[in-house]
Parts: sequence; C-alpha cells; structure tokens
Amino acid sequence: MSKQDGSARQVSAASVDSSTATILHVDLDAFFASVELLEHPHLVDRPVAVAGRSARSVVTAANYPARKFGVRSAMPLAQALRRCPNLIVLEPHFEKYRMLSAKVMAIFDEMTPMVERLGIDEAFLDVAGAGGVHGTPADIGELIRSRVRVETGLACSVGAASTKFVAKLASGRAKPDGMLVIPDEQTLAFLHPLPVGALWGVGAATESSLLARGLRTIGDVAATPVSVLQRTVGAAAGNKMHELANGIDPRPVTVGNPEKSIGHEVTFEVDQRDSELLLRELLRQSNQVAVRLREAGVTARTVVLKLRYDDFSTLTRSRTLAEPTDLGRRIHEEVSASYRALGAHPPVRLIGVRVEQLSSGGSGQIGLWDEDDSWRDAERTIDDVSSRFGRGLLGPASLLRRADVVADPRQQPEK
Amino acid sequence: MKFQANRDIFNDAVSFAVKLLPQRTTLPILSGVLIEATEDGLVLSSFDYEVSAQTTVVADVEETGRVLVSGRLLAEIANKLPQAPVNFTVEQSRVLVSCGSANFTLLSMPVEEYPSIPQVPGQTGLLPANEFAEAVAQVSVAASRDDVTPVITGVQLEIADNRLSLVATDRYRVAVREIDWDAAKSTIEAVTALVPARTLQEVGKTFGHSGTIEVGITNTDDRELISFTADRKTVTSLLIKGNFPPVRRLFPEVVDNYAVMNTAELVEATRRVSLVLEREAALRFSFTADGLTLEATGSEQAQASETIDAILTGTDTVVSLKPQFLLDGLGAVRSEFVRISFTKTENPNKPGPVLITSQTSKEQIGSDSYKYLLQPNLLLR
Repeated sequence: MSKQDGSARQVSAASVDSSTATILHVDLDAFFASVELLEHPHLVDRPVAVAGRSARSVVTAANYPARKFGVRSAMPLAQALRRCPNLIVLEPHFEKYRMLSAKVMAIFDEMTPMVERLGIDEAFLDVAGAGGVHGTPADIGELIRSRVRVETGLACSVGAASTKFVAKLASGRAKPDGMLVIPDEQTLAFLHPLPVGALWGVGAATESSLLARGLRTIGDVAATPVSVLQRTVGAAAGNKMHELANGIDPRPVTVGNPEKSIGHEVTFEVDQRDSELLLRELLRQSNQVAVRLREAGVTARTVVLKLRYDDFSTLTRSRTLAEPTDLGRRIHEEVSASYRALGAHPPVRLIGVRVEQLSSGGSGQIGLWDEDDSWRDAERTIDDVSSRFGRGLLGPASLLRRADVVADPRQQPEK
Repeated sequence: MKFQANRDIFNDAVSFAVKLLPQRTTLPILSGVLIEATEDGLVLSSFDYEVSAQTTVVADVEETGRVLVSGRLLAEIANKLPQAPVNFTVEQSRVLVSCGSANFTLLSMPVEEYPSIPQVPGQTGLLPANEFAEAVAQVSVAASRDDVTPVITGVQLEIADNRLSLVATDRYRVAVREIDWDAAKSTIEAVTALVPARTLQEVGKTFGHSGTIEVGITNTDDRELISFTADRKTVTSLLIKGNFPPVRRLFPEVVDNYAVMNTAELVEATRRVSLVLEREAALRFSFTADGLTLEATGSEQAQASETIDAILTGTDTVVSLKPQFLLDGLGAVRSEFVRISFTKTENPNKPGPVLITSQTSKEQIGSDSYKYLLQPNLLLR
C-alpha cells in the first residue's frame, strides 16, 4: 500500500460531517522515533532511526525524513545505513515508551470507556456514546490530537469511519500528524480505488495471487463474485475479503487485554550453532517474558519459539500449555522442547520467545496440585529482590555469563 | 455373500458396532463397519486403530463372505427398517439391503484395505456389570476433556487385592470409587490401566445390564490393550501411555469439619443462584450453625442468594466453588444426603480442597466408597 513516508497523505476538511464515523483509530506517528526526538529536537528534520548499537541490530523505528530514504522498521541497520548514509541512529529506551504510551492511553480513556488497545502505540475508540460530552467524532479526534500534543509532545494521526477496518486505513492515509474522516456514505468511494494490498489480511502471497487474477484495487475485489475469491484464497478468507471490500466489517471495538502477546528476541553479533548457548539465551528471554507477565498480572497459555537462520528464513514453533503460566521455568521448558524437536539446524541469526493467549486469570480458579509451586516461590522472590535492589542481581546460575560474551570473546560487553 | 437376520438383532448389532466410531476420521475406510457372514453367524466389527468393537449374532447365512460398508449410513438404515426379516446380499461392489417393502443399495468399501481387528487378550478378571457402569459414570465426570494433557483424559483403573479402583481428575477435582474385582482364573493380582474416559463411558452404558463383564489387560511394552466382553460383544481400547498423577495423596486422612445437606435441595439452590453468574464464575458458600447460604454476584449488579438447611460440625467455613464442578459431584454421590468436608491447608494462599461423600441420612454415612475432591477457587472478596 502506501510507502509509509507520508507522500500519499490525505486529510479531511473541517466541514466534513462525521456523525456516522463513530469509530476512531488513533495511531502515534513513528512512536519510538518521536519519543527519542523529544530529547533531540534539533534532529527533527533529519533522518533518524531507533536501533540498538550493535552492527547487526535492526531498525526499531524510523522518523518520516528517514522513511523518505526507504528506511523501514524491522530492516537490518546495515541496510538502512546503505540506503541513508546520513542516518542518525538513537538507542531505544523502552521504559520511556511504556510510560508515554500509558499517558496517551489515559487520554483515550477519558474520552470513552470503549477503548481497544492495539499494542503500545495505537487504539480503536468507539465514540458513538461520547458525542454528547465531547462533540462529534471529528471534534473528539481533534481534541485527542491536541491533548496528546500538549501533554506528551507527540504527534498522532486519527482515522474516523463507521468500521474498524476503514478507520485504520484512514489513519494510515492521514499520516503524519493528520486526521481523515470517512463518513459512512463515502466508505466505498474511499475504499475502492485503493490497491488490494491495503485489505486487512492481504499479505505479499495473497496480493500476488489476486494480482495474477487481474484484481488490482479493492473495487475489483468488491466486484468479484465470492465464489471466485474463495477459489483463489480459500473459503473463509475469500468471504472475509469480499465483505471488507464492500465496506462490511462487523467487528466491534472490544475493551480487552491491551496486549495480545509478550515477547523478547535477540539478533546475535555472530550467527550461532551452539545449542547450549541458544538454550541459555532462551532461558534468559523466558525469564524476561515471565517478569513482564507477572508485572502485567496476566498468564499465558501458548509459548512460541522463533528462529531466524543465517539465510534469513524464519520459523516459529508454538506449544499450548495445559495450564496458563507466568513462570519463566515453564516457558523455558516449552521453548526448549520446541527447540530440541528441530534437531540439527543452520546457524541462527535471531532467536526469540513469545507468549500468547494472555488472560488476566480473574476467575480465581486454581488446580488441586501445581508442579510449579516451588518455582513460583523462587521467581516471586526474585521479583521482590529486584523491586528493592534492581534487576539482574538474582537469577539462574547458568546466566551468570552473558550469552553474547561467550559468543565472541573479542566483543566487549556494552556495560 | 448372502444372509437373512432378525430386524431387531441386526439393528442392535450394527448400532453397537458403530457407536465407538470416531466422529471424523482422516482415513475414510475407518468409518466403515466390517460385516462377516460365517458358518457360525454374523460378525460385525469396527476399528479405528485405537478402539475396536466386535459382536457376533445369529443369522441364516446362505453364502459366506465379508464386506465393508459405511457404518453411520448402515446404522441409520437399520434403525429405520420396518418389522420384517432383513435380507442382505452383496453383488460385486454393491450391497443390497431389503426388509419388507424397503430396499436399499449401498456401495461397499475396499475390504482388503481394512486393518485387522486386535486380538483380545486373555482374561484378567471379572466385574459386576451394573456396579462397574455406575462407578464409571460417577468417576468419569472428573476426567479432563482437554487433549493437551492426554494422561488425565483417561480413567485410571487400579486392580489389587480383589478390588478395582477407578480414578479420574482434571486437576480441579478428583473422583475415586472402588468396586469388587474377581481375578477368577487369572494369576494377575495387581495391574493398572489408563483407559480413555470416553471409551469407558460407552462401555459402561453398553454393558450396564450384562451381568458380568470379562476384562483382559495386556500391559507389555509393545502392546497396551484392554478388552471388555459380555453378551458376545467385545470392546478393546489402547491404553493411554504415561503416568497418571499421584492424586490419592490429595485426599485427607481425617476431617473433623464438615456439613451435611439434603442433596436435592443443594442441587436446586445451586442451579437457581448460579443463574445470575457469568460463565466460569464461582458461587460463594457460607456454612454456619444456621445453615448454608449461597451467594452469587453476576454482571450488571445482578445478585442472588439462598439459604438452605445444613448441619455443621466444626467451625464456620466459607468456600468459593464453581457451580458446575459442585453439581457434577452432587450428581455422582447418588444418595439422599451429602456430606461436604473441609480440609486444612498449609498454604495460606490456597484454600484446602472440599471432599464430597454420600450420606444415607442426616446422621448415617453412605456405604459406598465414592469420593469426590474439589479444589475451591480463591475467595475474591
């Protein structure tokens, strides 16, 4: 779809009638990069990316001037530097992002209780019931934008529409720092000229199979019989795609767990084959993930191992637990089992642990027995010690040597 | 192949043979029922590599042979046939079923590809059918239905000292019952077998009125199989591999804090009060000298409460129980009164489990050995 650099930006006139566009999608613009730039205001107009300091790290975020050079998030930093030799690289500060995200989400919560958080930097708001208090959806959108700017210094873009799918597309078109309102009756006029790649759920593979059938725009998809779409992309996806292309998206804004998954991953300085080292890295990440689960007061039921090999091929393996957990030891057991089941493998460039199916365990249901009782005590104790004296003082003995130091003795640890 | 059979006998045999067939199978051939016409009568079998069912019935066999036909379709046809003798003929790949004025033509399935039905192990012992059927129904309510942990989707059968105990759990409750076991001619005195709960439930229902059930267990490394035989019907099942959790140690040895209620009253009150609850939520049960008060708080400020008679021995106790888990236990005790005992716990963050047992009257403990242990939820307020 758009090149994400703001070149296709489209915003609404102030006079637009927004009364039917009651679903807002609010997205912070180049969030991590913008936060870093708050402390480096003189760099605002220069290309800036947020990335770790290592030569092999990937771009976490890029500001709009950097995007004009083709710098994208998840791109290896080396590649980004080739595209934009003058790129200024700032180190990420995740605690700051979390803090500012909470501030922004609190502003949303003051507008309406119907807030569905999507990750750290975006949310859907259903403002159908908030009209009497704060004005039309467009008024609320502008109010949010000005409050976010005044209270955090950050820019955000707002899409307003009658469905979630169109609202999200609209905020994407409004970037950076804009608002686009699509009244219900203009939904199809807005949607149909867009390329098929803009449809929710259409990735590279689906896009090329649609293009192969001569379907270039969302309008083409809307005009295609469902049965033809179903033959191309499968029964359920074809049906869904046809509905979306016709502006139908019945999904409501659901107030729920802000995070759908929690994960950590690391790209090694040097590709790794040593399974002992990889398992130790999995233990470290499992513990980090578990700490975040416990901090958020949630448990996870699915544990995912992610590996990227030296040829950039990526695989994931997920396992479902009998009982949801928030323990690093359980998570490590599962990812280790997934890892061991792979057998011999090419050198590993990136390894990661992610947990999904999060629930806040509010039912109070507990099992008659729990194999992990003693580990739970141990990990809670580590939490207690850490909250008083800081993280990293107490942990598994196997992690005393840092994985990346063992990996390449020539590299000095960063600290 | 050609035979004539009594309509009711044929229907009964077909419905038995297909009962344990899986709802869906990756191999279409396994959805078939194998019909063999022999000199000794008619043998109907089904097998999905885990569970097999086989029965032998009388029939006038004019021409022997074997054929495989779609199990569910044949069962539906047999069930709807008019009251008249059933004529069954196979001509090449077509199966003709005629009965009175009704005629059916079915396509047969490739019988030569059908797996061979497992051999029944030698007899290990005998069970009283009705008692076994009751015990299976009482215990299997507690078995897990979650395939993530296969070992607890089974019922553990433990045979020792001429007793068979059945144990099942889903981590939230454990149900246990003992019945008589007659080792008969067998030399095997102690053995355990972990049998899928679903299969065992079907066995209980099928053989409940059969007098005595013959049981055979093969528990060697390469083949782990159990068989149940009665009334010329046999069901075999592979055993679930793995170690059943040591749940018996969870049962308290002594309890001096308990309450006795009328079972039906408690069931009715629990059903009523839980109407306002959201799914998965728990009810609060307060046991005092004045009786038992059930309280529920649902969404949108909906509330409900009810107090029923209870005779409390020991101290006042409050527990939070999931209504369905309690109802499962109350439905399984099968006695007019029920005793709920409260156990102590060393862990201050976890309430002790409650034990549900039968009472024939307010004072008299039930004579059966059924025990249902249930972990209460955390008290959230």
